Amino acid sequence: MDEKPSVLVIGGGVAGIQASTDLANRGFQVYLAEKLPSIGGRMAQFDKTYPTLDCSICILAPKMIDCFRHPNIKVLAYSEVKSVSGSAGNFTIEILRKPRFVDAARCTGCGQCAEKCPKKIPNEWELNMAGKKAIYMPFPQAVPRVMTIDPENCLYLTKGICRVCEKLCQAKAIDFSQKPETVQIKVGSIIVATGFDMIDPSKFPEYGYGKYKNVIVSLEFERLICASGPTGGHLVRPSDHQKPKTVAFVLCVGSRDVKAGRVYCSNVCCLYSAKDAILVKEHEPDVDAVIFYTDLRAYSKGSREFIDRAIRDYGIKYIRGRPGEIREDHETKSLTIWYENTLSRKVEKLQADLVVLSVACVPRGDTKELAKVLGVELDEYGFFKVADPLYAPLDTTVRGVFACGFCTGPKDISDSVAQASGTAAKAAEVSMMYARAVPRAVKKGG
Amino acid sequence: METRMEDAMAKTNVRYCLKCGKCTGSCPLARVNPEYSPRQTVERAILGRKDQILRGKGVWWCLTCELCSERCPQEVRYPDFIRACRIEATAKGIEHMCAHGGMLAELQRAMTSPEVKQDRLGWIPKGAKVSGTGDLLYFVGCLPYFDVIMEKIKPDSVAIGQSVVKILNRVGVTPAIMPNERCCGHDLLWTGEVESFKKLAKLNMDEIAKTGAKTVLMSCPEGYRTLKLDYADLFGELPFEVVHTSEFFSRLIDEGRMKFDKSIDRKVVYHDPCRLGRHLRVFDAPRKVLSSISGVQLKEMERSRAEAMCCGVDAWMCNSNSKQMQIERLREARMSGADLLVTACPKCQIHFRCVMSEKLPKSVFPVPDEAKIDVMDLSELAAKAMGL
Amino acid sequence: MTTEPKIVAFTCNWCSYAGADLAGTSRIQYPANVRIIRLMCSGRVDPTWILKAFELGADGVLVSGCHPQDCHYISGNEKAEERVNSTKRLLRLLGLETDRLRLEWISASEGARFAEVIKDFTEKLSRMGPTPFRSKRGV
Repeated sequence: MDEKPSVLVIGGGVAGIQASTDLANRGFQVYLAEKLPSIGGRMAQFDKTYPTLDCSICILAPKMIDCFRHPNIKVLAYSEVKSVSGSAGNFTIEILRKPRFVDAARCTGCGQCAEKCPKKIPNEWELNMAGKKAIYMPFPQAVPRVMTIDPENCLYLTKGICRVCEKLCQAKAIDFSQKPETVQIKVGSIIVATGFDMIDPSKFPEYGYGKYKNVIVSLEFERLICASGPTGGHLVRPSDHQKPKTVAFVLCVGSRDVKAGRVYCSNVCCLYSAKDAILVKEHEPDVDAVIFYTDLRAYSKGSREFIDRAIRDYGIKYIRGRPGEIREDHETKSLTIWYENTLSRKVEKLQADLVVLSVACVPRGDTKELAKVLGVELDEYGFFKVADPLYAPLDTTVRGVFACGFCTGPKDISDSVAQASGTAAKAAEVSMMYARAVPRAVKKGG
Repeated sequence: METRMEDAMAKTNVRYCLKCGKCTGSCPLARVNPEYSPRQTVERAILGRKDQILRGKGVWWCLTCELCSERCPQEVRYPDFIRACRIEATAKGIEHMCAHGGMLAELQRAMTSPEVKQDRLGWIPKGAKVSGTGDLLYFVGCLPYFDVIMEKIKPDSVAIGQSVVKILNRVGVTPAIMPNERCCGHDLLWTGEVESFKKLAKLNMDEIAKTGAKTVLMSCPEGYRTLKLDYADLFGELPFEVVHTSEFFSRLIDEGRMKFDKSIDRKVVYHDPCRLGRHLRVFDAPRKVLSSISGVQLKEMERSRAEAMCCGVDAWMCNSNSKQMQIERLREARMSGADLLVTACPKCQIHFRCVMSEKLPKSVFPVPDEAKIDVMDLSELAAKAMGL
Repeated sequence: MTTEPKIVAFTCNWCSYAGADLAGTSRIQYPANVRIIRLMCSGRVDPTWILKAFELGADGVLVSGCHPQDCHYISGNEKAEERVNSTKRLLRLLGLETDRLRLEWISASEGARFAEVIKDFTEKLSRMGPTPFRSKRGV
């Protein structure tokens, strides 16, 4: 056992970061494992948050840096949890550290290698709306600030040619000899904070996603409207990069849908679509923003006020009616949305130049695998199952393993952060049980 | 089989309605008829306004095409609900919308008499091999009657039957054909005359049993749906397999028994009939048959497969809304770049030919040139491609 | 073959109905098996009604109108002829004797002719016997 009681946090999004920092501040040793080359998670991809309309990455990045630089936190980015054995108070974990082929100690993140790398590939972090190179920084504010080489696309690693990055790197940080490394750690408890994915709405052919260029999903819109995104934050539509005259938001795509196998509500869309519509108006006040809703789920403090603000101060139109279908004018690439306005009881159509689908939020694809490794159960939708939704909403079905944030079910950032702190407390309790040393809280500013 | 509105409400998930309106936003009829809304009908049902529904026109206007239930997030089976309402309304003596003047229904009712002995085999081509018994029964449907009733638009529906028989003979199959085959009862069932439907069903089951058939082949998707789903509902698991011509041809192609030696150089677009497509999920078989014919350039309409737009008529209940919808669909067919519209339903074929025919006054239903296209049945095209 | 045949006669107002009326006023005897329905023109006869008549228990249907060229509405009787021929094809498909449907041109002055037609039709129908639909209605 380590001297300090320790906790493993799986997932470096805002929930994982919060839990890690809480624990670290109390003197616990935290290992933060993150699958991607950088921590930050979904919140780093959003443009602004609701209801505060803060720049998302601006409020997240300081937390990311605090987390990374904290003496009690060891961030294991670009790593995966491969096996877990033991029990509460005494877990043995094997973590696979994937090779970046870049020496983290030497890399300054200057980016010169990426500028000259000849291999261009789509950038999944930008939802494939922009490209990156085979050697890349996931996003400008990435933490740790280390380049990563994609082994499936790097010309040297696949074909044995190139090595331009190595030639250019002034810090001599490129190291093609790196191999995957398995590290073993022992911790007292585990926190899962792995977040969520969003569905691909191609399975709703009536909405034309994948067929019509100007039908996009909400996360793509976040990147579109973000100043550090593929269009520099200019509100333009994908087909011709022209400013749209009308932007329509369609809610409940795949959520509250028995046929799709998902009766649950994704929780966040009613509010984030209001936020997105406000961003449309802030960027281009003369563009019309219309939101098609079924029910408006704005139940917490400040939520309904946020939507009212959207209607009153920004002139956003709300139409109660789930669209039947969306068709494209093949010449102009504009879209016609057919719907029944259930309040005026008339069938109408709306011409829109850009349509944003609020698609259902679902468990990540790798959740099943991780659940097996941890030995925890999943619920009927594939989210991590909590021991009891009323009395133990942060406990999984295995003692000593806790879960917080979206990975147990849809919730927004404030709830995720609250849960993160909650799991930190519970994890601390378990790790303390078998600890030999008493953790000392870290003084702030020291 | 639900025969009352309340029973149907329970079985078809009507009470799960979210009132989201996706059904009405999808409904092709609601687009041309502002008085019609599936969502509002369901709302009335939930509010208990039974009389308003049963005595209203909306219950008859519905095309029962299942586009709404295809998209409904709560799986409300609206067309099944409508059917039960129609049955209850008919039992109460409420008259339904004009269905081609009631002509077809009269014939179908006439066939419910056990003593009727039809003379309906005159269409069979000379020299064709058919039998009274056999492993495979070709259930012809009302094709011979269509040609007489619709003679003004020259549907040539029997050409479908003739093509099927020629194809079967060419691949070495001698089909059984029933000399006293009754109408499958689809139209009577969907206009609420459930007792007459049951009579027809029983008579047909007896006739089919006499042939000893193990497979019943149908060229009409409405008959296909009726036997496969509604007869099974009445009689339990059927003692024979029911298959549509498109599926059967697709099988024959796979087995190498159906070969197309003639080239058909046409740009073809396929219209998915509601009963074959959405009701029974047969989308690929007809396309496979078409793609197997050399020279055919297969196009797709914007709305195809499970999204296909109905031909606008259900159980012969037709009005100006139907015509508007047909013109829209034909225009869509032309926009796909095709010059030949192929369908696998004799009734869709009749409806499309009707709107383009001289029968309709041009002052009332002007059919623009961009909505005119040749229409042919899949079996006919297949037979032509086999040189038959 | 002992049941009396029932005939439904669709007659046009201007010629055939008047002719039937004349048979009555002239006291010409003819079988009482016919039910006469007056229409303004034989061209008004919807083929569906012909089938309906058989469904309701008629053994024979007579459609009677003005002689060709004499139709009060110029061409109504031509349409009647087309429709009757078409309906006969349906009857044939249904397995009914096509002679059960009869088209006659009877003018307003042909009272005796009307009576003769009914007599002849009744005789032929009683030889043909009831339709397969009789049993349904118990008529």
